[in-house]
Amino acid sequence: MTLLSLPSRTDRDLYPALMSPQMNAKYPADHKAFVRIDVSLRIYWHTLFDICPELLELSGPDGMSIFRPFMAWAEEKKLAFDWSYYLWVYVWLRQSPFKERLLADEKYLRSIMAASAARWAILDRGRSRGIVIGCADTADLVIGWKCRNVRLGREIELIEPEEPLPTPPDLFGYFTLPSFELDIFPGWQSLAR
Amino acid sequence: MRLGFNFTLGDTYDTVQRLLAEGRIDYCEFLIDNFFCVDPDELAKAFDCPIGLHIMYSKFLEADRSTLVEFAARLKDYIDALNPIYVSDHILRFSHEGRAFFHLGEIDYAAEYGLVRDKVVEWQEIVGQRIHFENYPSIMDGGLEAPAFFERLMKETGAGVLFDASNAVCAHRNCGTPFEAWRNVIAKAQHFHVAGYRQSLIEPFISLDTHAEALAPDTLAFLENFRSVFDKPGATMTYERDDQIEFDAIVADLKALRDLFGQPEERRHDLALTA
Repeated sequence: MTLLSLPSRTDRDLYPALMSPQMNAKYPADHKAFVRIDVSLRIYWHTLFDICPELLELSGPDGMSIFRPFMAWAEEKKLAFDWSYYLWVYVWLRQSPFKERLLADEKYLRSIMAASAARWAILDRGRSRGIVIGCADTADLVIGWKCRNVRLGREIELIEPEEPLPTPPDLFGYFTLPSFELDIFPGWQSLAR
Repeated sequence: MRLGFNFTLGDTYDTVQRLLAEGRIDYCEFLIDNFFCVDPDELAKAFDCPIGLHIMYSKFLEADRSTLVEFAARLKDYIDALNPIYVSDHILRFSHEGRAFFHLGEIDYAAEYGLVRDKVVEWQEIVGQRIHFENYPSIMDGGLEAPAFFERLMKETGAGVLFDASNAVCAHRNCGTPFEAWRNVIAKAQHFHVAGYRQSLIEPFISLDTHAEALAPDTLAFLENFRSVFDKPGATMTYERDDQIEFDAIVADLKALRDLFGQPEERRHDLALTA
């Protein structure tokens, strides 16, 4: 095993690298620290491509032409990697060399909006029951519902409203629902970074 | 030793019902904050067995007091409705500088002891009861300090430890934390977890807590070698399985645990009464 000049005694020593492919490359590949960071990075990868496998059609099977530059951009923007993780991938794709192919088929956007709605329903611990996500690139809405019954999981709905809601002021907007009904439109909230 | 199964979402509802009906398990552990939008009375009626409550996302080391007060208010509705055997939580880092980890981080036991102790005291005070905190499947060498940390934490805060046996196996494999170092923690702990683990995909291999594989031989050997330290009146052991939910494989692992620990006293008593 190679001797390492970077601190690596504790997991905390590695925190800044756990979401950074560039920082991982500074650790020797035969060191446990490299493997621990690799484990962390693989989960960001799988969280993206296992849930939105369509994106691999854009990038090629290893996903790296999306994953690496997105993670570098996310680091620069200090993205929080909360439930909106997937929506920020779309924001990045839209200003990347993949833009034309991305916008040619709405399946990518639908998959990304559904993935973020599901992630909100999994992670959010507030009292809201559901989230509605809208995008300036489509009139469709995606709703994520939290688990409402002991026999059910989270549920995701694609809505094609007869009367479209106003377009979000930013590329994406969202609002949350206090009950298991879509019966309000309090206006769009912008994504937090 | 009472055996249980973790219930994290509705898709394993039928599995848990069948495990209970066949006498494979004696209680069920809810990952409770996944069910915060389900009526507490409905949850109380879900399974006809004792219940443990395991918290995943309180983030009590990172959240501010008002967020924790709100979380606890909701948790208490379930504590009141379910009268759980125990309430447990995690000592983990969920983020760094405001950015979320997708593979959660282990704390620095030496440098952060004082902060964690104070937060544990505060969190137990807010919830209004003793909480059992789970040990981490250490990878880096800081994990060597975990047993002394938990022993001290129990002594100074009155908290319990939810001792995860397979996490200790991972820590042993990854950073050499001796099983013997956990003896006092295990002896004082009432509630346990156990699950499968797998190796990393690249070398040098590390062992990862996955909840998706069969119990490993070294996990079973650890339980066997420390059987008398684990087993005690009121003790529980939750078998965790979140992926690769194959009924026969789960039953095989539960049978191995039952063979090791025997039928719990309560069940033997029930059987005696009905015989």
